[in-house]
Amino acid sequence: MAARGSCPACGSAALVEDAHYAQQQLVCAACGCVLAEGLLTTTYTEEEHLREVAYSQSTGQKEQLSRCLQRGIRRVQDLCKVLHLPTMFEETAVSYFQRALQHPSFHLVSLEKKELLGGCCIFVTCRQHNWPLTMGTICSLLYAKQELFASVYLSLQKELGLSVPALSLVDLVKTHLNSFRLFQQAADIPAPFVEDKEKMVARTMQIVELASETWLVTGRHPVPIVTAAAFLSWQSLQPAARLTCTFARFCKLAGVDLPPPAHLRLKELLDILLRMASQLAWLRVFNMDRKTVVKHIGDLLQHRIFLLKNAFCLEDEEEQHDAAPGEGSPGSPPAAQEEGCPSEGKRQHEDSPRPLLPPCLINPRKRLRTAALSSSDSAITGNEPISDSEIEQYLRGPEEIRAFRKAKAWP
Amino acid sequence: FKDDLSTSPQAFTPMSPYDVDLPIQTTEDVLFGSQFNQLKELPADFSSVDLSFLPDISHGNKEQNLSENNHEMQKELDGSISRNEDSSIFMDEGSLSYPDATQPSPEASGVCPPLTSMTPMTPVTPSSESSGIVPQLQNIVSTVNLACKLDLKNIALHARNAEYNPKRFAAVIMRIREPRTTALIFSSGKMVCTGAKSEEQSRLAARKYARVVQKLGFPAKFLDFKIQNMVGSCDVRFPIRLEGLVLTHQQFSSYEPELFPGLIYRMVKPRIVLLIFVSGKVVLTGAKERSEIYEAFENIYPILKGFKKSS
Repeated sequence: MAARGSCPACGSAALVEDAHYAQQQLVCAACGCVLAEGLLTTTYTEEEHLREVAYSQSTGQKEQLSRCLQRGIRRVQDLCKVLHLPTMFEETAVSYFQRALQHPSFHLVSLEKKELLGGCCIFVTCRQHNWPLTMGTICSLLYAKQELFASVYLSLQKELGLSVPALSLVDLVKTHLNSFRLFQQAADIPAPFVEDKEKMVARTMQIVELASETWLVTGRHPVPIVTAAAFLSWQSLQPAARLTCTFARFCKLAGVDLPPPAHLRLKELLDILLRMASQLAWLRVFNMDRKTVVKHIGDLLQHRIFLLKNAFCLEDEEEQHDAAPGEGSPGSPPAAQEEGCPSEGKRQHEDSPRPLLPPCLINPRKRLRTAALSSSDSAITGNEPISDSEIEQYLRGPEEIRAFRKAKAWP
Repeated sequence: FKDDLSTSPQAFTPMSPYDVDLPIQTTEDVLFGSQFNQLKELPADFSSVDLSFLPDISHGNKEQNLSENNHEMQKELDGSISRNEDSSIFMDEGSLSYPDATQPSPEASGVCPPLTSMTPMTPVTPSSESSGIVPQLQNIVSTVNLACKLDLKNIALHARNAEYNPKRFAAVIMRIREPRTTALIFSSGKMVCTGAKSEEQSRLAARKYARVVQKLGFPAKFLDFKIQNMVGSCDVRFPIRLEGLVLTHQQFSSYEPELFPGLIYRMVKPRIVLLIFVSGKVVLTGAKERSEIYEAFENIYPILKGFKKSS
């Protein structure tokens, strides 16, 4: 290809690019003078591209990786960009992914699982840096079934020996509320429903902390709790206008899903708040129910430490009743006995403070208790003689076989 | 012998010139078995300390010297002394019955100070008090080899308690009422028996299944019966803060409330997996022996008790 310029030696314009062995040289065709040589370009040979060659390409790094691994890494990087994660997370996730794929137990899994593996690596990275990312989010991004994701995640955790800290609920509040649409005016949202984000986030976090102190969070899925807490905090910030709005409507307006357990969490939260309200001096005169207590959530949260201490007996050594509701607690502190006890619609035993226990212990489901091994059972040696009659009861007679054969048309 | 004692004030070498190779140590092991094997403070020269419980014949200044020595010993062997107090009761009886035990002469013996002369010490509480709760076995899985090829269709036809759906699963599912168990019988002759509440029940049930197969006309044997897994459960009777437990025992625990409401604790020794729930119920699985379940529970109980006093 003819290059421009003129040769400094002879002035000829016939400059040619030629390669001496493998080194590119700009040579004058007339006198043979070498003008330039050995340019280590950082651009493609066809110079119209003028693009920088990436390190991984020039060093042949990419060629060393299998196509599957390359695709997986690209997928991981794309997901990180979608989630707006810092670049450090991306690198960590990619390194986990590479480690995992080299592991024999993941080497040969299906492509679907390999894609899930990429998502799991991102999930683990986020959790290790306390970045609140729920499995639900990752599963929806990967279009994956949660059971499959769960199995891949657990095997990844075991094989690579990763320690993953628990999800921080307080951080989850912030990110979950980011997806709510109630913080700006919009056409379909009535004016009194719009709320200030900071206030709502702060109050929701307080309610979530209250829930975790009162055993409503342990063992439960975190997102319904956050949703229920957000609803309560939103209602309590402007109760006059918002008490009539139902939970379902709130979620529709906010543009979030209403997970089924959220109703139960809301009920549990309201029950806790009602118990606390019964301890607040200026609220005792009112007949509180689940609707009216919402108006006073602000006060209740403000004095929650004091109220929790009084509303629930926190000595948990002697109080070992699983089934008995609060009225049966023998060690109830006398200070908690109040005079004007509020009446609750359904439950009468609100008077004495109930022990602070998880809901599964307060309302135990009636279960068939398998009887403990009786003494006769435990005397079995395993080598007893087996009577023929006992065995024969399990065998079919000939007529039965014939009938069965006819009915089922055994081949 | 006063000299002997004074020349070795810190000595834990035998106080008497006689070779006191009393087999007291072995007795100790036998009597106190596993509980004290864990405690590492057992000094190597335990025998020297034992000597203090040889029959006490003459008191006097020997006693005085001994009590000096005892003070030093107490300073150094805090825990083991009190164990000695316990063991002394056995030792006195034991030493009398040992013919080998060279009963040193009164003067020679490190004169046994009566127990009262020793400075009373607070007894060492064992690091793990017994919880008083015994896990109940809920399920035993065992396998046995009937050592003959089986025709599963034939079995399903001739047995009332069998179900066989080759499209779903390649084995016959057979059940018996007593002991209430279920068996998976494969055409290779291998069988899995599940649902029993004790090892003996599992064995009895497996034998009954083998008898059924025999009566159906197959030359079934009963080879290599082995318990593969035991599952137990119990209730510690107080709620547990799973979030706290996963923080302090991160390397063993896995707590994902989005996936499962319980905490999965993988204990290393014994190799048992525990499912711990907020209600205080604990499920233990992965054991091949009953003792592993009990041991695992005794290991986890003090850890769980640490999370009992919640905010």
